[in-house]
Amino acid sequence: MNTLSDSARKTLFPRGPGLGLKFLLFATLSVGLMVTDHHGDTRLRPVREWTARALQPLLWVTSLPQATFNLGDHFRSREDLLTENQSLHQKQLELEGRLLRMDALEAENARIRELLSSAASLQTRVLIAEILRVDQNPYRQIVLNKGEHDGVYKGQAVVDAEGIMGQVIEVNPGSSVALLVTDSDIGVPVEINRTGLQTIALGRGDGQTLSLPYLPGNADVKVGDLLVSSGLGGRYPPGYPFGKISELRHPAGENFMEGIAYPSARLNQGHQALLVWAERPALPAEPEPAVEQATDANAGANNTKTKASPAPTRRDTTAAHKLETPQKKPAPATPAAAPVKPATPPAKPR
Amino acid sequence: MNRDSNPLVFLFSLLLALVLQAIALPELITPFRPLLLALTLAYWAVYAPEMPALLAAWLLGLCCDVLYGAPLGQYALGLVTVAYAARRLSDTLLAFPLWQATLALVPVWALYIFLMFWIDGLTHHPADALHRWMPLLTTSLLWPVIAGLLGGMNSRRSRRGILP
Repeated sequence: MNTLSDSARKTLFPRGPGLGLKFLLFATLSVGLMVTDHHGDTRLRPVREWTARALQPLLWVTSLPQATFNLGDHFRSREDLLTENQSLHQKQLELEGRLLRMDALEAENARIRELLSSAASLQTRVLIAEILRVDQNPYRQIVLNKGEHDGVYKGQAVVDAEGIMGQVIEVNPGSSVALLVTDSDIGVPVEINRTGLQTIALGRGDGQTLSLPYLPGNADVKVGDLLVSSGLGGRYPPGYPFGKISELRHPAGENFMEGIAYPSARLNQGHQALLVWAERPALPAEPEPAVEQATDANAGANNTKTKASPAPTRRDTTAAHKLETPQKKPAPATPAAAPVKPATPPAKPR
Repeated sequence: MNRDSNPLVFLFSLLLALVLQAIALPELITPFRPLLLALTLAYWAVYAPEMPALLAAWLLGLCCDVLYGAPLGQYALGLVTVAYAARRLSDTLLAFPLWQATLALVPVWALYIFLMFWIDGLTHHPADALHRWMPLLTTSLLWPVIAGLLGGMNSRRSRRGILP
């Protein structure tokens, strides 16, 4: 009788003896991992890489529904394709015409910049990446199908055809995770295209809008002004459209006004994004030694600035010296930025 | 509930839950996506104590961490906590009728979501509040469905296994 009730007890309460112990072990392991990872320990990289590699098939499976949805593209009528082809041809011609003018303008720009002995241009290395349909809720981020193998690095800028989308926050061997500009953790140095006024745009965290909190009260800003990235800080390439101001708030008695802007990039739709290398490869040696000397001096002067800006990469050793080149551009622009810059710190206590 | 469960069903259900967790849904219904991984793990912890639910929770949690770009260990900790709580509550849950068990599990989901929310705050990894808390509702409501579905699958498989 005794033994019977004992065995019945065991089946009814099948709790293992070491359950609490096991939980404690796993919990401490998790907390330990979290703390090490949050402090940026590189010893955990392999763990992440292996897991990411193991998850590669999962990413493929999650993209299947999208792929089957796109299967409809194979069954399109001839007329559709013809009209599309025609319109693309027209667009191509139009763009070619504009490109011809661009070439001339670029050459002129290069000449003028040479005169100013500054060596920046809008030309950058890009890579097209597919946006994977991997759910990232509750986080507002996107997964791209290019990773470390393609030279993607942490902090790299992501743009689409319309403007800046965000930046890479996590690099895996075959994929990477990027944060969108509307995230409240991202600030982008921008300038107002019409006036050249430099300021910083922050995401508002609602997934829709951006905020420009550090505009001087008397700044020349209008609703509808285009914002472009200024390239200060060296993380985002200069000259890409960033957003349009849709609203200006000027609270009575405040020294600053706040601008609300909509990002120009289409953040929620679209399947492709461009990864942009902000550091331009070292310039091919200039023929005039005088110019080279001047740029060298300029680089030396800017070295202090380069150090002050957060280093965008950990692994990429070649990036360190490349970074200097985009830094040179702001040299003529800094005087314009000067009135804004000192104004930013007092805004904080508010 | 000491019937033998099929390890294949165990593995398959967890993998399926992970895939369904990662698959993209239309924008409108994403906030309502239930925490399928936590639900499945809780089912196995409650109904099949011989399965290594804690280990599975930890490994799948690490997968989630990599998938979301979260600090390694965040989702692992959350899922291990869910599995542990479900295992501890299993006596009560098995004794109760299903609707009461559903109610009894609500604090477990809430604890999981709060843990994730808290660690997000500590590590400055901002998440959307609606997308973070809305699943509490759907997850709670989905427990009877998951328990029924997996229970049906599991018992049929195990009966077939027992019979020669």
